[in-house]
Amino acid sequence: MRRLIAGLWLFAACTKDPSAGFVQTKAEARNYDCQRLSQAEAHERYPGVVPEVPPRGTYGSTDALICSRRVLDWGDREGRDEAILNSLGEQVSELTRLATSTAPEHTTWYVDSFYPQPQVAQKIAIAARVGLVERGQKVSDRVPLLGGGDIAVLARLPPGQAYDLACRRYFAESVLARGEAFLALMIVDARESQLHAGVCLDGAWRWLL
Amino acid sequence: MRRALWLVLVSTAAHAATVEAPDAFAQEVEDARNEIAAQLQLHAYDLLDELVFRWTQEPPFENESPLVLADVTVPVGFGSGLQALIENHFVSLLVKNPRAKLQLVHCPQCMAMVVHSGAKGTVVARGVDEPETLAKAGVASGSRHALFLDFEAEGAALVLRVRITSLEPNLPIVYARTISTTTASPSLLRSEDKLKSAAEARKEYLDLLEGKGLLLVPISFAVRTYQPNPNAFVATAPLLWLNVGIEAALSQARAWTASFSAGITWAPESHVGWSLTGRVGRLLTGNTVSLTHPDVYAYVGGSVISMYGTGALAFRNNIPTPEDLKASTGTTPNVIFGTLHFGLMARLKNRIAVSAYIETAPALNGSPVLGNFIDLGFTKLQTLGFEVLFCF
Repeated sequence: MRRLIAGLWLFAACTKDPSAGFVQTKAEARNYDCQRLSQAEAHERYPGVVPEVPPRGTYGSTDALICSRRVLDWGDREGRDEAILNSLGEQVSELTRLATSTAPEHTTWYVDSFYPQPQVAQKIAIAARVGLVERGQKVSDRVPLLGGGDIAVLARLPPGQAYDLACRRYFAESVLARGEAFLALMIVDARESQLHAGVCLDGAWRWLL
Repeated sequence: MRRALWLVLVSTAAHAATVEAPDAFAQEVEDARNEIAAQLQLHAYDLLDELVFRWTQEPPFENESPLVLADVTVPVGFGSGLQALIENHFVSLLVKNPRAKLQLVHCPQCMAMVVHSGAKGTVVARGVDEPETLAKAGVASGSRHALFLDFEAEGAALVLRVRITSLEPNLPIVYARTISTTTASPSLLRSEDKLKSAAEARKEYLDLLEGKGLLLVPISFAVRTYQPNPNAFVATAPLLWLNVGIEAALSQARAWTASFSAGITWAPESHVGWSLTGRVGRLLTGNTVSLTHPDVYAYVGGSVISMYGTGALAFRNNIPTPEDLKASTGTTPNVIFGTLHFGLMARLKNRIAVSAYIETAPALNGSPVLGNFIDLGFTKLQTLGFEVLFCF
């Protein structure tokens, strides 16, 4: 009897159990990001939800499973966009770290991104600009532009050659000068969800990732 | 789950239903988006509050500077409605916090598309992206800086990236910050005109959570009603009680409480009495008291009740006889007995509560005057009590 009551109590207490089961599907369960914390840390972060550790301790180790619901469920946005945006901060942070190591101090950075969706491309470029400033770099909000003839030629080349040629054209047209670097972030293949980056410095193109 | 159910229903429905399906689906998507936007809005406000608070502590410019709010972008998938809410809140924050040393200026030309033809070609761009074009056109907004706010949903976190660009030909970024929160954390909901640091807001939250401290002074007005014995020719009138006591929470979450109170009762020409009551309560509606919803406690307790006067004769195990009543004219009958009770209490924060309980007085199980609400066999529940409590 006591076990039954305990079981019922546990069942009632687990109404927000994030795992898949009777109350939610696997697809719904995937929309939670969960991490396990000690009771003390969980109380520190969520004092209104997790009670404090009793002063005399507990008989067993008690922990808390902290689950955060995603802002947008998987499937609400186009798959490739979601994959990029889901870890935008991490990916761009890594790329800007690599980029700053390739250029001397006091370099002025220009940033642009090349992605099929203009809204997402804008997000990537903004994240990179802000990331570079936060690393103490001089960054311009201006986007270096080439002429229409250059664009028409570059659009017909494979990415491996197009970015290299574009870099040389930036310097030939004096769009970029010495002491200025251009960081480009892009996806190379339309089917991939991994950001790549390259730096154009002194007329030479270098792939970072 | 709902969407899957909807799809099943649609697949089995008549052809006419499939004609209406796209509208219903669009409505469902719109409802979902509105629901998410409503939650997202508070977190976006929180990030803006934090941003402006930081500016009040450490302004981005030494002197008061005019600023154009050039762009507000919201997470991919959201529309201009959320954008407008965010923009309004941000403007309100800057107006109410002059210590940020930023003055928003109106510059419609900065947002408009401008066309500039030169030796290198023709450029079509927004005014803020072509400041030299604005200058040549003689547009003087009075601002030398443009502010860009960008929000993006990254997994469970909402991220704000803010940058201020100097409106010079090279558009140097003079200020940039990233502020992130997770949507799992509750919004701080800081007041716009009295911004606080996150640490101060957390302390306020904890103070609120803990109520007025671990000790409370509850004052209650109670009524005890007694079931009359169907075989008795007298019945006991309800007793009115005024109780004052002290309640201690056994933890800051107030999940367990213990209280002790003293009460008095009086009725003209009938009785006067006192009681001492002790109780232990357990919160049923969670592990900690709620800031927004009433809390429900279950409690058990015991009382010692003493009564004087003719009204006390009803609390004896014999029927008052005329001789008893006659004898009582010269003296003051008195009775003292113990009770046990258990009940439920609904409490709104630590302010006001209503409570109901059922009580047994084992010493009065054989009373010919008192009946039973419930007969448990080993004891009888003779009393129903109701209380209204005010806590101080």
